Amino acid sequence: MTDNSDSYMITVIGHGEFEQQDRTLLQSIERQQIDVHYHCREGFCGACRTRIKKGSVTYLTEPLAYINDDEILPCCCRANSDIEIELD
Amino acid sequence: MKYTTFNQHTVNALLEPMFFGHPVNVARYDQQRHSIFEKLIEKQISFFWRPEEVDVSKDRVDFQQLSDSEKHIFISNLKYQTLLDSVQGRSPNIAFLPIISLPELETWVETWSFFETIHSRSYTHILRNLFTDPSEVFDDIVVNEEIKVRASDISKYYDDLIFATQLWQTQGEGIHQAYGETHVINMRELKKKLYLCMCSVNALEAIRFYVSFACTFAFAERKLMEGNSKIIRLIARDENLHLTSTQHILNLWADGKDDPEMAEIAIECREQSTAIFLQAVEQEKQWATYLFQHGSMIGLNKDILCQYVEFIANHRMRAIGLEAPFAITDNPLPWMNTYLNSDTVQVAPQESEISSYLVGQIDSEVSSDEFDDFDL
Repeated sequence: MTDNSDSYMITVIGHGEFEQQDRTLLQSIERQQIDVHYHCREGFCGACRTRIKKGSVTYLTEPLAYINDDEILPCCCRANSDIEIELD
Repeated sequence: MKYTTFNQHTVNALLEPMFFGHPVNVARYDQQRHSIFEKLIEKQISFFWRPEEVDVSKDRVDFQQLSDSEKHIFISNLKYQTLLDSVQGRSPNIAFLPIISLPELETWVETWSFFETIHSRSYTHILRNLFTDPSEVFDDIVVNEEIKVRASDISKYYDDLIFATQLWQTQGEGIHQAYGETHVINMRELKKKLYLCMCSVNALEAIRFYVSFACTFAFAERKLMEGNSKIIRLIARDENLHLTSTQHILNLWADGKDDPEMAEIAIECREQSTAIFLQAVEQEKQWATYLFQHGSMIGLNKDILCQYVEFIANHRMRAIGLEAPFAITDNPLPWMNTYLNSDTVQVAPQESEISSYLVGQIDSEVSSDEFDDFDL
């Protein structure tokens, strides 16, 4: 399920573009020193809920928190294509 | 409709709404209308913990060294947490179980409430360690005006739903007289009361609790009262899960994925729902004034706590499809994230039910070559 060799580009609207390097999307975002809200980091609290504009992600663990069709939980997923996301 | 503890009619639970369908009969989880509740039960049970496992003895020394204003903050906060869990330990059971029509949701509510009772027992564990006789603290919870204002707001929606359900289940729909008052009981009114109650529960667990967590962790940031903080971290992890469950319920309704009438009510009650959240925010701000009335503490004061209330309210309101009403966008208490991260909740693997540790301990696959060097 996780292929660490996949390198996709992540665009965070208003924060620029970078390459996915870490196990989770949240870690990749944090590496860029972008301030992102999180609590559980396991997909059950929903604090990191983020809108995805383009592309898609694969979940490492199934999210328990409620997410809309256009939302993802960066703490427990990684990109499986180039993606564009918008933080609150 | 009269409540029955075992409905003897055949009911297809896959077609029932979450609430106000037929009473549940067989507690079965092999099939689920809303599988999320079964997943939440599994997750919650995997979090099982006991307050006695956390050593709070060092807190007694720390407590003696706090200033009077800090003691006021710490104890008032603990009183408030005790109140919240006193309500949550019983109310979801009493209010929701009589009207739930799905076995997985019924069991989720029971599991949820059970964990609230662990929280309540942990406050006694904390207070017994700090005081030889904690009665003074407990006794004040029902007489302290500041706490009472909150208590009545928190219990109001529960009480309203519970009373209306009791009238409905004993006398049916209609206009009933009780305690000198006239009550109009029909399904639409019952469902509205349920909707508002769920909003109020979400506001309680998603906003009110977090204000109290911020106060606890502000002490831990200064390496004070760390035993207490460890317990509150375990409580916060549970509460994270609970608020997820009420967000799911509210969103399942709003998205029309459950009872279509509840989707109409969600639209109809949008303003009232927003008002419940704003009222909770206002009360938490007043509470912050009370907490810091004798002075602030390092790392936390009234203004920062009020900003945090607004920040967290924005997030929580957006999560259930309401507008974020406050201008604040940056987290004024970034260190809160660390305390709410479930990875850093320290537990020994054999004590915590980490799934990878327990599942697959027994290798149930035996291949025929295992017997290769076996002679009779």
